Amino acid sequence: MSMEEQDILRSAVIEFAEKNIANSAVAIERTGITDDLAVSLAAQGFLGAALPTEVGGAGIDRQGYAVILKELASYSPSVSVLVLITGSIAGRLLEKKADSLLGRIATGEESFAVSLWPATDGSGSAGELKISGNKIRGTRRYVIGRPGGCLVAVTDDGKLVLVKSGFSLSDEDHHLSFRGLKYSVASIDSAHYEVISSNGAETMERILSGMDLEISAIALGIARGALAKTVDYTKVRKTFEKPLKDYSTVANNISRLMSELSVAEIALQGSGEMNETEMLMLKVHATDLAKRATKYSLQYHGGYGYIEDFGVEKFYRDAVGLTILLENQAADGMRLSKEVFGEKSGYL
Amino acid sequence: MDFEFPEDIVKAREKAAEFARKEISSNKALMYDREEKFPEELKKKAFEYGIVDYTNPWSMLVTIEELCRADPGMGIAATVSLFGAEVIMLFGNDSQKTKYLGAVQNGEMMMGLAVTEPGGGSDVAGIKTTARKEGNRYIINGSKMFITNGTMADFFVMLVRTSNPEDGKRHHGLSTFIVPGNLPGFSRTKITGKLGVRATNTAELVLNNVEVPAENLIGEEGKGFYYIMTFFNISRAYVAAQAIGIAQGALDRVLGYLSELQSKGASSTITEEIQMTASDIATRIEASRLLTYKAASYLFQFRPNPTITSMSKAYAAETAVFATEKALEITGYSGINGDLERFFRDAKIMEIWEGTSEIEKLIIWRNLIKEAQGGN
Repeated sequence: MSMEEQDILRSAVIEFAEKNIANSAVAIERTGITDDLAVSLAAQGFLGAALPTEVGGAGIDRQGYAVILKELASYSPSVSVLVLITGSIAGRLLEKKADSLLGRIATGEESFAVSLWPATDGSGSAGELKISGNKIRGTRRYVIGRPGGCLVAVTDDGKLVLVKSGFSLSDEDHHLSFRGLKYSVASIDSAHYEVISSNGAETMERILSGMDLEISAIALGIARGALAKTVDYTKVRKTFEKPLKDYSTVANNISRLMSELSVAEIALQGSGEMNETEMLMLKVHATDLAKRATKYSLQYHGGYGYIEDFGVEKFYRDAVGLTILLENQAADGMRLSKEVFGEKSGYL
Repeated sequence: MDFEFPEDIVKAREKAAEFARKEISSNKALMYDREEKFPEELKKKAFEYGIVDYTNPWSMLVTIEELCRADPGMGIAATVSLFGAEVIMLFGNDSQKTKYLGAVQNGEMMMGLAVTEPGGGSDVAGIKTTARKEGNRYIINGSKMFITNGTMADFFVMLVRTSNPEDGKRHHGLSTFIVPGNLPGFSRTKITGKLGVRATNTAELVLNNVEVPAENLIGEEGKGFYYIMTFFNISRAYVAAQAIGIAQGALDRVLGYLSELQSKGASSTITEEIQMTASDIATRIEASRLLTYKAASYLFQFRPNPTITSMSKAYAAETAVFATEKALEITGYSGINGDLERFFRDAKIMEIWEGTSEIEKLIIWRNLIKEAQGGN
């Protein structure tokens, strides 16, 4: 996508977000993404942006998709991750299995939920999920996405399954990040399922590691959202009779972070020329920047930053959660080291 | 020089740890956090158990550490019901001490310190709440923000402006009062939706022509700023102890997680980078302890050293944030689904309340340059 096209798309996303998200970003964190918002995202083409046109998606390229994810994340990281789950994760998990299903997901007719847990953690705390006879039974925790449609999860013996009905989702409480997605526990007892892959954990891992650019975009959106609020706040908030922005520590820290962010955004805009290694490098930089930017943002908002009404603390939580829920930092470290050294490195 | 605590303080720490094991569990902590509910029963039990005793400050310091190590929100809630009492202890008259201190010291009453305002946190001298003298009473108007124990406290030590300084020095003309929470015109609203320490009670206070008897003035009129700064010198050592407890709690959980991995034969996943990060957390905790105990040592011998106190508060707070963030990185899904995500959220307030890290560093600088220029 050309720079001009990216700019047009960016304006469209911002216009949408100003109208549909800006005033409800705090409510999204408290009570979840509403069906109305999901329908609006679908109608605007964002929900199925990354899905192919043959199944009803917008078939947008990764640069354009990154624009959508980043701009949405600057208002509500939860909304951005919903688009990621529906577009990238559903699209990649289901690409060879269920075109009509993907089409319904793209238009918002069908919702999609996924338990990412086994892809990045081997602790066994995800619950038990087994196939026995013609049925799949058990539970999966940390299900994210919207209820009411289909569910993808990995069984205890490593199969990646698509459960089309016969499961319910109950809310888990108050998790660290992306609270708008309302994490659930899936209770499954179904004969209506399909095995997508016999090596589920690897498939999930591959999908996650193939989203470096998308995760970069969300991280940069989080940093942009937090820093934009901080710039506005430090202009008007006074201490010792001077605006906060007049103090060199505040101004320089925010300005340096803004510089880092702008450089990364330029890289993201030109990501059409990037190879996989460069995308990984951008992700490592972007996720680290998001954590630092949100930490300063909260700090400079003082007590107000600590309460959800100001919309800053969510960025702080989400920046950290992003690197745990949607990234395998240990695996990324190994991938990066291998690229840098040209051989397996950094494993001891 | 002996770096070991005397036996009575060691025992106080053990007693607090024992209480924490008995009364603070992950499930309870999760419930209070989720419901943003003050653990009244825990507070009561802490008094009954004899571990909340601010007349023995060293014991209190290690008790705070141990309780926050178990859970920051519950730990702070159990030990914060006397918040601000030192102002009355140090500057109040006998009648005020008799009337108010006894009741908070035995847990019958709860108090709070009301300094911060909606328009100013760090800039204490910039407060706008006023008290106007009329006969033998003062009329207070204004509002206070982020007040710990705000909707629960029976009374507050409140900083207000009683006169406009003629010399242009804003910290002149401020006074402290004991303000009961049930006076006409005094409204209190609980603040919900905090990132962390959600078991603690925080509120906004609004005072509309609240009449306070003149006898509630603490010490001398116009000296409130000095009293509050003296108090902060004390309370910052306790905040440092909270932060150390949080960091230690995070390290405990990291070591538990890594030990389990080792016992499952997954030692190879504990890379050198993880080992060094855990070592860094432990080192910073130990450094925070040494600084905090040094600050407390000066303080509890009635010769406070604001430079060391500010160093300890700022460094311990940063250590809590560092430790909890790194702990989450190391433990991943396990951490995000357990106590550590709460510790991470709780830790950040350490860098904000009782003087932001920036304010602490400015205090350190001012004292350093004063000393360099021959001051004392």
